Parts: sequence; structure tokens; C-alpha cells
Amino acid sequence: MIDTKNLTRKFGNLTAVDNVTLHVEKGEVFGFLGPNGAGKTTTVRMLCCLIGKTSGEAKIGDYTIDNENDCLKIRKMVGFLPENVGLYDSLSAYRNLDFYGQLYEVPENKRRENIERLLTLLGIWERREDAVGTFSKGTKQKIAIARALIHDPQVLFLDEPTANLDPEAAKTVRDFILELKKEKRTIFLNTHNLDEAERLCDRIAILKTKLIAVDSPKNLERSLYNRKTIVHLDNVSSLVVAAVQKLNAVKNLRTSDNKLILNIDDPEKDNPEVVRVIVQAGGNIQYVTELRSTLEDVYLKLIREASAQ
Amino acid sequence: MRLWKSWIVTKKDLSVFRKNKYVLYSLIAMPIILGVVLPVIFIFALNAQISSVQLTHDQLFAAVNQIVGLATMYFVLIPAILPSIIASYSFVGEKIEKSLEPLLATPTTDGELLLGKSLAAFIPCMAVTYIGAAISAIIIDFWSYTTPQIGTFLIPNPYWLLVIGVIAPLACIMSVEANIIVSSKVNDIRAAQQLGGLIVLPLVFVVIFASTSAQISTLLAIGVSAALAVADIALFYLSKATFQREEILTKWK
Repeated sequence: MIDTKNLTRKFGNLTAVDNVTLHVEKGEVFGFLGPNGAGKTTTVRMLCCLIGKTSGEAKIGDYTIDNENDCLKIRKMVGFLPENVGLYDSLSAYRNLDFYGQLYEVPENKRRENIERLLTLLGIWERREDAVGTFSKGTKQKIAIARALIHDPQVLFLDEPTANLDPEAAKTVRDFILELKKEKRTIFLNTHNLDEAERLCDRIAILKTKLIAVDSPKNLERSLYNRKTIVHLDNVSSLVVAAVQKLNAVKNLRTSDNKLILNIDDPEKDNPEVVRVIVQAGGNIQYVTELRSTLEDVYLKLIREASAQ
Repeated sequence: MRLWKSWIVTKKDLSVFRKNKYVLYSLIAMPIILGVVLPVIFIFALNAQISSVQLTHDQLFAAVNQIVGLATMYFVLIPAILPSIIASYSFVGEKIEKSLEPLLATPTTDGELLLGKSLAAFIPCMAVTYIGAAISAIIIDFWSYTTPQIGTFLIPNPYWLLVIGVIAPLACIMSVEANIIVSSKVNDIRAAQQLGGLIVLPLVFVVIFASTSAQISTLLAIGVSAALAVADIALFYLSKATFQREEILTKWK
């Protein structure tokens, strides 16, 4: 649904986005992670035809971002939530959405229906005639999301949708994104909230001007260290250690206090065998855990490496 | 260009302006002061002269023509000046509300957006101009008709019709376009209004020249009006050419 090839954007001598190549499947929630100034917003602006590219290619569906006619079609098929909500404070929530519905060429009946459905879903229907200026930040953000969805877009670009929101409002917005995910919409999510990216995204790209990594949150977490299994025993005997060392699946074994720390390629397959061998050798297992790196560990490592280059 | 798209933008801007007291008061104040209060003062002054000094018929009509000329001139100055207040809000206002990015993300072309914004500034400026001109005409006509030495309606006359009907809207369009160019280039309303004010100054001279030409010769006035119309079209295309979505988005402060 979204394809870029060596997409690059320079502002004078500054390269904001450098040779970004990525592919986002239809119905996928794709997270775009990176520090401030990494080029996330610039990438989204290029993909929404708001600013031009310096070089490379990009397509949304069948349309390229180079062509003015295609750009109008792209703008019609994508919904965009910018970092700043950008609503008209003096107008009502309904009027704000109605205005955008008209610009997106949604027929009047459908527009009314969509506004009612979205505002009801977000719990704002009762306050639809209130001026947007009277709403809290969280509510304004909800209205801005409704605006991005007013024309039932196939692709949704969300730029920091929960930034500056209190935890409750952020949760509401995240839950709403999960609802959209169920509707199989393609969502391109710019964020530096790692927890949010992990919970919402099918795949994550880490960007620092260049694309550093693209993978599912799980695979990214596994990429930093090999997966380790930790077996907590009441006592680690030499018999237990010898029995475990004999297993082919165990690549590396070390002990620490009453713990066995094992490197295993496929823990889901081999852990039951490890447990059986330990029990047979007289070991008394208290519990088995997995030691894995978090997305934050991976993110920080990759960003630091990119900064050092 | 899809005019209905521009009209959507116009209607939205008009709704926003209606809720902005500063814009509303500015729109109402200038026509009242220039178009109503000043002619009334002149009429009172002339009445005092008529009752205290014996004016000849020629002197009286020269004074009356001056009042009509001034009243007409004011209503060509008003649509030239007012857009500096209202049009400066068009893009800077969007920048302040940070609403320009989602607006530019809609399937609307630059021309449609600019035309919508221009109409949103043009319509209220011309509306208050015509309302003010009508009130001013009623006041002057009432006075002239009830003054025994005159005893006739002075307005509308061909000069008044040409200036109010043709030169005033052309001046308004010119001012709107110039102010929209300024508004899309700067980041705060005060800067937009100050620069807009500077742009209006030469425009005022153009407008005074155009109005004066109407007093001299109808043919000259038609020529000047045609020149104004050409300048308006050129300014619209200039505003379209200078309207850079990218510059507006990336140079926000």
C-alpha cells in the first residue's frame, strides 16, 4: 500500500531523510520510530504530498507523489493527523468535521452519518455543538482523529497521536487505533513512544535520517541478544549442570547463584526437554523465565550506533 | 478549478471571522466613521455656512459636489484598506491555529484555496462598503432633498455609480490579493497587518487616481478600471505562484 525507494529529502545542505526504502502492506499498522529530528514528520509530509522529495520514489497505492494529479488522489485516499491538532477553536466540533468532510468530497448524508458515528464512538456526540476551544487537549486530539477519518480513508498517517496527552486520554486514543486496526486500515504511525509502538504495530521501522531497522517488535527485541532461558533452582548441583550440558540444543551455559542461564536457539521447542533433564538429574525447579531485551534496549542501541557513525 | 471547493473554504473563513470580535469591530467601525460620521459633520458645517453666509448658487453646488466627492472617495478607500485587516487573518490565522497543515492535506488545489480565501476577505469588505455607501447616500440625499436651496437627490450619479460599482470592487480585489500574498509569507498577524498596511499605501494613491479620473472623463475612468482589472488578475496569478505549500509548512516558527 505504501512503497518508497531511496526516498530522500534535503533542506539546503541538511539531509532530513536519506534513502529510505520501505514497504507497508495493506491493513498493516506500521510504526515509525525515531528521535526528534530523525525525519519522521518529513517522511509523512512527503507521503501525504505536502512537501516534495529531493530524490527517490514513493507510491501510495497506485499513485506516485511526483505527479500533481496523483497527489490530489493521494490526498483523497489518505487521512492525516498532524502533530498539532489544528482545529478551528471558534467553530464547533461538528462544524470542524463538516468542513473537512466537504473538502474531502463526502456526500452530505454520508458526512452526517460519519460525523455522528465517529463523535459517538469517541464520546463527544453530546458536545458536538460546543466550540472546539472549550475542549481539553485529549478531546481535541480525538476530534482531530475523527477529522482524519471523516472520509473513510484507506491509509491513515498519524503523527505522534498521543504526544502531550494525559495517560487516560492517551489510552482512549490507543484503544481507538486498535479499533481501526481491527477494521484492517493501513496505519502509518509516527511515534517515539516505544510502549505504544510495541502494543499497536505489526512492524516497526527505526529511523535516524536513514532507515536503521525494520521488523516486527518481537524480532527487533530478539535481535539484540540471543534469547536466554533462566532456570531458577533451589540448588544448582554438578549433576544438574552436567546433564544440561549434554543437550545439543544448549549453546552456552553458565550459573549464577541458584540460576542456570542457557542460550537456546528455539526455547519454545527445547525448554520442555531442558526441564525434563534437570528434574531427572534431581534438580528442584522453582520457575523458568526468559531473558530478552526490550524494544527500548534495541532502539537505544541502534540509535546510539547510528549517532556514532 | 472547482469553484464549489473554493466556496467551502470561503464559508468556513466567514464563520471564523464572524466569531472574531476584532475583525467584526474593524469591519463595522471604518465605514461608520468614514462613510457616515464624516459626511454628517460636513453637512452640519455646510448647513451652518448656508444659514450664516449667503452662498451663491455656484458656491453652494461646489460645496455640495465636494461632499459627494468625498463621500464617494471614502467608499473606494474603505475596500482598499479593510482587506489589510481581514485578509491578513487568512493564512496567518490558519498558521496561528496550526490548521494549515490539515487543510493543505485535503484534496484542494492552491488555486481553489487562494480563491476561497480571497472571496472570504472580499465579500465582507464589499458588503460593509455597500451598506455604508447606501447609508451615506441616504443621509446625503435626505439632506439635499430637504434643503430648499438644493431640493434634489444628489446620489446616485454616474460618477458615484462608476466608482462604487466598478472601481471600489477592483480596488478591493487588488488589496485582498496583495494582503493574501503578504499573509502567506509571514508568521504573525501584526507583521501581516503592518506589511499589508504598507502595501495599501501605494494602492490608496492608485485608487485616488482612479476615482479622480472618473471625475475628469468617463473614457479615462474606463481605461483605468480596465488597467485595475488586469492588475487584479495578474496579482491573483502572482499570489498563486508565490503560494508555496512547502515553504509555508517548513518555515513555520
